[in-house]
Amino acid sequence: MENGSKQIWGFRGNEELKIASEITVRGFLNLLMFHVNKDDDRPTVPLGHGDPSAFPSFRTTGIAEDAIVDALRTANYNCYAPTVGVLPARRSIADYLSRDLPYKLSADDVYLTIGCTQAIEVILTVLARPGANILLPRPGFPYYEARAACSRLEVRHFDLLPEKGWEVNLEAVEALADHNTVAMVIINPGNPCGNVYSHQHLEKIAETARKLGILVIADEVYNHLTFGSKPFVPMGTLGSIAPVITLGSISKRWIVPGWRCGWLVTNDPNGILRKTGIVDSIMGCLDVSSDPATFIQGAIPQILENTEEDFFSKIIYIIREAANLCYERIKEIPCITCPYKPEGSMYTMVKLNLCLLEDIGDDVEFCLKLAKEESVIVLPGMAVGMKNWLRITIAIELSTLEDGLARIKAFCQRHAKNNKI
Amino acid sequence: MEENGEKRWNFWGMGKLNPQSKTSVRGLLMKIWGSVNKDDPRPLLPLGHGDPSPFPCFRTTPVAEDAVVDSLRSAKFNSYPPTSGLQPARSAIADYLSRDLPYTLSPDDVFLTIGCIQAIEITLRALARPGANILLPRPCFPFYDSYASSINLEVRYFDLNPEKGWEVDIESVEALTDENTVAMVIINPGNPCGSVYTHRHLKEIAETARKLGILVVTDEVYHHLTFGPNPFVPMGVFGSIVPVITLGSISKRWLVPGWRLGWLVISDPNGILRKSGIVECITDCLNMTSDPPTFIQGAVPQILEKTGEDFFSKTIDILREVAHICYEKIQEIPCITCPNKPEGSMFVMAKLNLSLLEDINDDTDFCLKLAKEESVVVLPGVAVGMKNWLRITFAVEPSVLEDGFGRMKAFYERHAKKQ
Repeated sequence: MENGSKQIWGFRGNEELKIASEITVRGFLNLLMFHVNKDDDRPTVPLGHGDPSAFPSFRTTGIAEDAIVDALRTANYNCYAPTVGVLPARRSIADYLSRDLPYKLSADDVYLTIGCTQAIEVILTVLARPGANILLPRPGFPYYEARAACSRLEVRHFDLLPEKGWEVNLEAVEALADHNTVAMVIINPGNPCGNVYSHQHLEKIAETARKLGILVIADEVYNHLTFGSKPFVPMGTLGSIAPVITLGSISKRWIVPGWRCGWLVTNDPNGILRKTGIVDSIMGCLDVSSDPATFIQGAIPQILENTEEDFFSKIIYIIREAANLCYERIKEIPCITCPYKPEGSMYTMVKLNLCLLEDIGDDVEFCLKLAKEESVIVLPGMAVGMKNWLRITIAIELSTLEDGLARIKAFCQRHAKNNKI
Repeated sequence: MEENGEKRWNFWGMGKLNPQSKTSVRGLLMKIWGSVNKDDPRPLLPLGHGDPSPFPCFRTTPVAEDAVVDSLRSAKFNSYPPTSGLQPARSAIADYLSRDLPYTLSPDDVFLTIGCIQAIEITLRALARPGANILLPRPCFPFYDSYASSINLEVRYFDLNPEKGWEVDIESVEALTDENTVAMVIINPGNPCGSVYTHRHLKEIAETARKLGILVVTDEVYHHLTFGPNPFVPMGVFGSIVPVITLGSISKRWLVPGWRLGWLVISDPNGILRKSGIVECITDCLNMTSDPPTFIQGAVPQILEKTGEDFFSKTIDILREVAHICYEKIQEIPCITCPNKPEGSMFVMAKLNLSLLEDINDDTDFCLKLAKEESVVVLPGVAVGMKNWLRITFAVEPSVLEDGFGRMKAFYERHAKKQ
């Protein structure tokens, strides 16, 4: 209403949104980039993010690009897609994932999403009944916390055990769960830890989930990106013990996070998710949201079926080399220790020994000063739930990684406490 | 715990809160499609939804296809995009929209979204502070209602007046507004009405919103798709009278709804939306959700700058032709009347006169039976907030439209009340 000459407006921002969006990886990385010294001639070394697509060694396969162009040029995919995704895409994802399962998925078990990001959005929205809580790993991927906050879904954290290859602390899971707990999330291969779980451990997780009456959300966006001794085992393998919802995408294995094409899959041979209304709710959520671009969906069959093994092997090879390099170089830096050599995904978690450093109070300060003095970006462990640790990305050109680790070493030496004893 | 061999689980679905349980265009259309007789050898005639892209005469321009291919092949756009969108895309959209405005938009005013659908999602979310309400037109594009209820944003409806070219009933807007009203939504060119508002009327809307202290959300997804006497005037023209949030996309003008590339634009020269924290909310929302594919964003400058005027004119010519056919044919069917010849978008609203029909209960019944008997799909008006009306799409091949109306006429004759 007009009040003299001062216009009064009835709208203002929804402040609840602020809380949720502050805790994302993007947020932290933007802050660190801001601190980089603009006068430093050296190129910035980005060891903080999970997107190697800008590096020439990590260029996606021509087959994937061709598949997109083919789908686009048919002009059959300029239309709106069905809510759940185009059938050929769903079918081929079902086939692709079934290769590693003891049962066959049907196309009806597959829902196309705008990257794994939207798959997370949907499942958390669906589970967020008033009073519910969800169990998340610590350290983890902070988008889960942010998204849960948005849906007012209470979050409880269970620890991953660094001394046991970052396995789930199942006792902690049981202690945290109550009758309002709806699900637990695991990320395998692990972000940020780089761990790969054994079949045996996944089975224990499934049995624990069953005992507690909760479902397992398996974030397998890094599926098959394993380079250590353990093979990738999909959680869906244990889907008859406890219902599993698998989240994934082409973003990481094909190095195309910008294509925004992922999936939410129900691994539930006993049909529990259908009976409890979860499937209906998933469809309902998808019905009121946008979709992945139709022609990208149209390209999925060709991408999944025609990509050759040597493309995958090449990527695995580079990341393995990088993991080895990183692990060795970290050994040469006294104030940083890596408890578990990474075996999968694109990261490693390393512990900061602050008492060996002068004038660095915590992991955030370490990263801010590192960005400023050495133009190296590393993610502070606080971003992923473990203060005074660091998450280092290893999916990067080897020469760039070498350079970055050398600069980190120099930084640590410069800030080392003078040992007066 | 196991009970009688039946395991109890702690999770269950959303039940009544499930967004699907509200009417959505997709949901209702699925139901109607479901009643089509599978043994009917005649092709199904889709006159219910707004997607002409399957028809050859509505194929997009090769300029757009080439732009996407070029962008993809450069391999520069496989990475995650920045939250608000790629800078060149934001710049190009700012320039494109500024052509029709008395001021220049900055790229910072432009946010890329996954089609206009996501632009609606973000806008509603950003405005949905606890206790707020938003004013929607009736009839409306039903997604607004579906999404608003899924986020507990109260919705109130003002009328559009069929006797006055579907103009906004200003009095009803004023009557509905209270201290918790944050915004009013207009859709221009109109879905489902096919109306195109005049400069005079848009100004009236702007002044009313200013008086009431609310902002205007203008859904301009059908921007420039006008073929009648009134030219398209963007609401942003009045951005200095009232802050405007403009929603749009390439989906309709380029006939590529499947590409999922849209925008949310702040048309607010006085910076009020920034000061009130709305813009920050918008970026917070965008930070929390997925994005349009980076390489499609990368193609936007080429698409917006290089598409020739002849592609646009061709589309308009076809739309003008089919809108005309539609209007003429409706007049030949006694039980349907169209109060306003469509001037824009891809739809027209037509009123059903049930008293002239035997054994048809309402608009949904009409549509279900029409689908079953004649394999023609039309949207019942209840889906858009007007029971016993129909929303008819005319953006199809002319022959499909002719055929469709032929079958509708036959349907009418079969169900006409005997005199």
